[in-house]
Amino acid sequence: MFKLFKEIGRAGNATVAYPAAPLDLPDGYRGKPQHDEAACIACGACAVACPPNAISMELAADQSRITWAINYGRCIFCGRCEEVCPTVAIKLSKEFELAVGCKADLEESCSYPVATCARCGKPYASAKEIDYARRVMMQAAGAGAAAAGAEGDVDAVTGATLDAEGGELEGMGAAGAGASELAAAADKISLCLECRRVDDGVTAQKRATEKGGAR
Amino acid sequence: MIETPVPASLQYQPTKVELDAKVAEAKAKLLNSIKRSVYVYRVDCGGCNGCEIEIFSTITAVFDAERFGIKVVPSPRHADVLVYTGAVTRAMRMPALRAYHAAPEPKLVVSYGACGCTGGIFHDNYCVWGGTDKILPVDVYIPGCPPTPAQTIYGFAMTLGLLEQKLHASHHDEEPGVQVPLAFADIPYQVRVDIEREARLQSGYLWGRDAADDFLTTLEKGGTDVLGAVDALIAGEPDARRAEVFGELKRVLLSKVVA
Repeated sequence: MFKLFKEIGRAGNATVAYPAAPLDLPDGYRGKPQHDEAACIACGACAVACPPNAISMELAADQSRITWAINYGRCIFCGRCEEVCPTVAIKLSKEFELAVGCKADLEESCSYPVATCARCGKPYASAKEIDYARRVMMQAAGAGAAAAGAEGDVDAVTGATLDAEGGELEGMGAAGAGASELAAAADKISLCLECRRVDDGVTAQKRATEKGGAR
Repeated sequence: MIETPVPASLQYQPTKVELDAKVAEAKAKLLNSIKRSVYVYRVDCGGCNGCEIEIFSTITAVFDAERFGIKVVPSPRHADVLVYTGAVTRAMRMPALRAYHAAPEPKLVVSYGACGCTGGIFHDNYCVWGGTDKILPVDVYIPGCPPTPAQTIYGFAMTLGLLEQKLHASHHDEEPGVQVPLAFADIPYQVRVDIEREARLQSGYLWGRDAADDFLTTLEKGGTDVLGAVDALIAGEPDARRAEVFGELKRVLLSKVVA
């Protein structure tokens, strides 16, 4: 009997105190996906990646808003949404107490305004996403131009220390031409896909006429 | 239920068991004045067995659900709580109903796991009717794939009215004109893209982005001596694998230097 109590004392208490004390969770624990509404651009990458279709994107009947929604009851906590999110707007948190009494409480949603095409006026994508994409492209074009300008006077700078200002780092492969093309593309981003296709067709036709005469 | 090509009207819709008022009243009373151990019977309606394994780890010594008097019993005739795991499949609908009717009233029904709640990843399978709530009146939904033992204990505590529900439905309408800031706007775009691409190639999407973010933050904060800051980052990294990834990222960075 004494031996048994000795063994119990040696082994200690293995049971966690969970409901009385908070549970010790490891880093990288995949709990409830936490959606940051402000950082989300409503691009729908998570909805495409979600294996059980727990995340959905739905266009309102009047096409003025697009609604991002997640159903925690269907979520399998795989973290694909976190992997594909371009703005880190969705992250798997350590929150795990998700049990509910009413099924409607498992749903979370957020609706975003939809942008309309600058030419034909049709709604085509989330306004936030268009704005974000335009700024990324302008940044890329700006970096390209800066690199093109810097390349001229690198010869003058000998033994330069590395600086992240963009001057000494080569921004773009094909600097000058790439920058203007990107700037043009950033302008075109306010058009819907159909209008862009029409534009591209017109440009291709013009190029063909210039190149090979009448067609 | 098949969701896309076949309209719901052409598919079989199971009828749900409805509680009559007397039973509902008895159930509410049971919830308020349960002063004894709760016996739980587990019904697998067509899951992958992951939920069962988690239920068994809940009753082992580490999580020990029996300290709250929660006991898993081998017959529905002893049960106060029925735990339904897995999506309701065509073949298991009748056994699930038989288990429900075999348990004495008043009884509580818990829908366990992503499949039990909504059909989960099998929701649009041809032989799946959906979650447990398609055939039975469910009291508590415990999501998770599978729910961890801690989630299970929380769910049972909620079923018995010991803990409060934390998750609530929410909806947010975003105003027009909100801008998302560009990440690492000071770093040339192509450099940033190449570093992120290399990091993801080296250690996958999730941890690759983690490494790339740390590396780019170091670049941004490095001031005039960027290479020194990068070397300090590599030297200070306790994880050898991440240090190696940082080394590769430094190589990418050096290949981008013009001068």
